[in-house]
Formats: sequence, C-alpha cells, structure tokens
Amino acid sequence: MKAVAIVVAALAFGVLPYLTSSNYILGIAVSAAIYTVAAAALNLIYGYTGLLSFAQLGFWGIGGYATALTVVTFGGTFWLGLLWAGLLNAALALIVGYPTLRVGRHAFVIVTLTFALLVTLVARDWVDLTRGPLGIPGLPAPSLFGVELKTTAHFYWLAWAYALLALGFLYALGTSRIGRTLVAIKQNEPLVRAQGIAPMPYKLTAFAISAAITGIAGGIFAFHLKVIDPLFLDFYYMQTFLIMVIIGGAGSFWGVVVAGIALSALPEVLRFSSDFRMIIYGVVLLVIMLVMPGGFAGWIRQRRVARMRAALR
Amino acid sequence: MAVDPVYLVQLTLNGITLGLLYALIAVGLALIFGVMQIINFAHGELLMVGAFAMSFALPAMGSLYWPAMAAAVVVTMIGGLVIYETLLVRLRPDEFERSILITLGLSIIVLHVVQYLFTANPRMVDTQYGFDGVLIGTIRITWTRIIGAAVAVAAFALLFVLLKHTQFGRAMRAIAQNREAALMVGIRPRVVARNAVVLATGLCGLAGAALAPIQLVTPGMGQFLIFKAFALVIIGGLGNIPGAIVSAIGLGLIESWIGGFFEIVWQEAAVFILMVVVMFLKPDGLFTRGGMRVG
Repeated sequence: MKAVAIVVAALAFGVLPYLTSSNYILGIAVSAAIYTVAAAALNLIYGYTGLLSFAQLGFWGIGGYATALTVVTFGGTFWLGLLWAGLLNAALALIVGYPTLRVGRHAFVIVTLTFALLVTLVARDWVDLTRGPLGIPGLPAPSLFGVELKTTAHFYWLAWAYALLALGFLYALGTSRIGRTLVAIKQNEPLVRAQGIAPMPYKLTAFAISAAITGIAGGIFAFHLKVIDPLFLDFYYMQTFLIMVIIGGAGSFWGVVVAGIALSALPEVLRFSSDFRMIIYGVVLLVIMLVMPGGFAGWIRQRRVARMRAALR
Repeated sequence: MAVDPVYLVQLTLNGITLGLLYALIAVGLALIFGVMQIINFAHGELLMVGAFAMSFALPAMGSLYWPAMAAAVVVTMIGGLVIYETLLVRLRPDEFERSILITLGLSIIVLHVVQYLFTANPRMVDTQYGFDGVLIGTIRITWTRIIGAAVAVAAFALLFVLLKHTQFGRAMRAIAQNREAALMVGIRPRVVARNAVVLATGLCGLAGAALAPIQLVTPGMGQFLIFKAFALVIIGGLGNIPGAIVSAIGLGLIESWIGGFFEIVWQEAAVFILMVVVMFLKPDGLFTRGGMRVG
C-alpha cells in the first residue's frame, strides 16, 4: 500500500510540465531533481557508510566536463558522454578511494576535499582540454530517438526520469544486504570484521556508485545550463548537497529526498542574494550540527523512540 | 637543458619562504588534531582574518610592521578562543565528522560575512619596508619575505621550547599521546584543548599577517592555502608536528621549482600527487617514526 502510494507520487511529478508552462518553475524543478539525486548519492557514502566525502563536488564537475567534452571535442553523443561520465568517475573513485581508505576515515575526508579542489584547479588551468576560465558555451541539445531535447520541459522529463532511476536504485541498494552491511560498517567496523566481512570492497563499491551517480547528474545538469566553466565546480554545489543530507538526516533515504526537493524550492521562494544565502547556509549547517546532528529524520526517530519508551513505562 | 643557477637559487629561496608559511598553517592543524582529534575547517578563514587585521592595523599604526603583526595575532587568538568556547568545547573526541561540519559552517559564515562587508576586491598592503629588498649577487629578495621566513623560524623555535620544556606544552603532548593516562595524572583536557586551539590560531594569524604584504589580501585567500595545509598534515602524518613542518618546506620547494620550469597545472597538482604517493607507500605519513610525536 505504502509502496503503491510512493510510486504514484513519483509518477505524478512527471505531469508537472502539463500544469505549468513557466520555464522558471520548470528550471527549478530540474535543479530539484538533479540536486536530490546528488544529495542521495552523498547520503549513500556519508549517511549509510559513515564516510564524509567532499569528492562529490569533483565527481559532479568531472561528470559535467566529461559529458561536454565527449560531445563537443570528441564528437560523441550526449548519451555516450553520460556513460563516460559514470565510468570515469567510478574508476577515479576506486583510484582515490583505495589508498585513502587504507589510512582511515579521517584521511578520507581530507583527501576527498583535496581531490575536489584539485579538479577545480585542473578545470581552470588545463586550458588545452577544458578551455580554462572561458569554459565551453553553447552545449548542443541532446537528441533521443530523433527528438531534440530543446525545451526546459524536455529536460525536466530527462532529469525526472534519471532521478526516478537513480533514487530507485539507491533505495533498493540501501535496503539490500549490501546497504545493511554499509550501515553496519558505519556503526561498528571491528564487529563487521569479526563477522568475516571485509569492509574495504563494500566501502569502495559505495564510493564508486555514489561517484558514478553524481557524475551523470552533473552531466545532465551541464547540458541543462548549456554551458560549462570552472564555476560549475563552485563549492556552493557541495554545500548544497551537504546541507540537504544534514537537514534531511544522514542515513535516512526519505529524509534526504524530501529535504532535497524542499531546499531546492525554498531559496528561490525567499529570494536571497547569493552572499546572504551562503551566510544562511552556514548558520543552518552550524545550528543543525549543534542542536540535532541527526537532522529532521533523526529528530523524528528520537521522538518516536521516546514515545514508545513512555508507552512501555 | 641548461639551467640558470641564479634563477634556480631564486626559486629555491622563494620556495623556502613559501614552505615556512605553509608550515605555520599546517602546524596549527596538526596541533589541534593531536590534542582534540578534530580538523579545524575554519583555519583558512582565521588566516584570512589575520591578514585582514594586518591590512587594517598597518595604516592605523603608521605602517609599522611589528605592532601591526602583534595586533593581527592577538585578534586571531581571540577569535580562536571564542570559537573554542562556543563551538569546539561541545565536541567529543570521536566526533570527527561533526567537527568538520561545524567548522565548515563557521568557515562559510566568516568568508561570506567578510566578503559582504569588504567586497571580494583584492587589497594591497603596504608596510614600512615597502617593496625594498636586499641584493645578494644578482638575486633580489624583498624584506617582507625575509622577515616572514624569519618570523616563522622563530615561531617554530618557540613552539619547540614550549612543547618540550614547559608544563603548558607537556600537558598538550600528554593528552595527545594518551588521553586516559593524562586524565589520571590530573591534566584537564578542556584547558589543554583551549590552549592548543588558541596557540594554533595564533600561529595561523601570524602566517596571515606575514603573508599580507607578500601577496594580495582577498577573502578567499585562506581557502587556497588551507587545502594544501590539509594535504601536508596527511603527508607528515596526522597530528605529527615536525612531520608537518618538514613536508611543508618540501612542498614549498617543489612547488616553486615546478612553477619555474613547468606549466602551472603541475604546480597546483604537485601536492595532491605527492599525497597519493605517500599514502600508497607510507599510509601513516612520512614521519611516523623517529620524530617527536606531539600528537
């Protein structure tokens, strides 16, 4: 019953372009779908596995650049570009993840951050490949079965379909045996080892999957913007994904999905200037981490446990 | 390829200066990690605050270098004290990710408030030394660079004495080495952690003040430096202070040499490549054995 309701609600988002013809609203909806997927991918590695990864920003940027370069420089199709974005990111996640995870989760945070900043520098300074700060403007509209995806509504359907696919996959993964093992690794790694499970392949798998999903999301978003330049790697994106995970509740699938959709719409409704928005993001991050580190999902769970305890007493 | 020796010496000297200033930042991070097992993400913003304090104090004090530097250090130390008492004191040693997210939030706030108040335009900082320098043969170095390097060396000497030979520093090392044992002999972790944070932010403010006349002061200057400092802390071994100093000077040299002979991409990428290589070969950092392990 609950599953049917969720499927119906998810499909209902697909009719949005019939309800409004405003490109502004559809544009926000594209961002909401893409950001939510990226936040859910971060949730897989941070919320479930307990490894805080700042590399998501790098994967997002690499995904965008890989897709754009496949189309513009190497003459491939958009879809081939997305495939490359996914594969390249998964491979990079393994290369960066393996040596780092051997050191520990402290090092993982720092190395993934350095990786993200390195990608920014490469995007800016490797002018021969990325065209430097000028970026690559005028990305062509991708075509699907002969239909050119030109309008914002087309892109909304693309983003929506990808979001359904990616979120469905992440949900299935999170509730599978693999997902439970990841949570166990977060909660008590020595116990997991004692059960005869090697944590490393699980951590690497989670990291690679999260990288691939973020990269493809970045590729779609770059073609939605129709331009890619080093600003695509602005730390703003990382903060947005992080805030969604933190407010929604790290480790809670639905918490992050709801927070992703809500937080994409909210700043637009309230219309902050960009500096002011960042200050508010900072304050929100600080306050949530101090007051309710589990986010809203964690807070609701705590309330439910407290009520059950009270009922038992 | 023939290399001009004068050019090489110039690059080397620049590299050492740069490395010493990197070291000031990295040492603070290593100190805080050693004592509290957390990473201070706002460290780069404290550096920026130090540089801004320098840029405001200098005109107010008639371009005098030393009083302005002292003022900048005091300002950042007060900042460190406030950060510790309001935020970091709530963290337990096992809350590593939480510490990062809290200090990340703080760093976003500080960065954008400064940007909002003073705009993102770069500021030039003029000292009593101006852009004068000394000539050694055909090599020219500005006084501000020489003083920056000297201040860093003096700070390390002082830090060494402090950690090795005073009760203040011994308590820090004790907490870093064995928290429970330190508690048992009556060392208060809260006081020691506060001292460590204030000391680390003071070093950071010193680095900011020394950097201000050497390069342009912008609100984003801390962010570029902090990620290198993070990498250095990993290369040197988390919480290892001498390791952080040695790897910082090494990185300064390598970056300067690479910047002199290769494309700029490689200069920026050097630190990351170095870090990955070190993690493959020695996962616990280059200097895990032999050094004075403060943390």
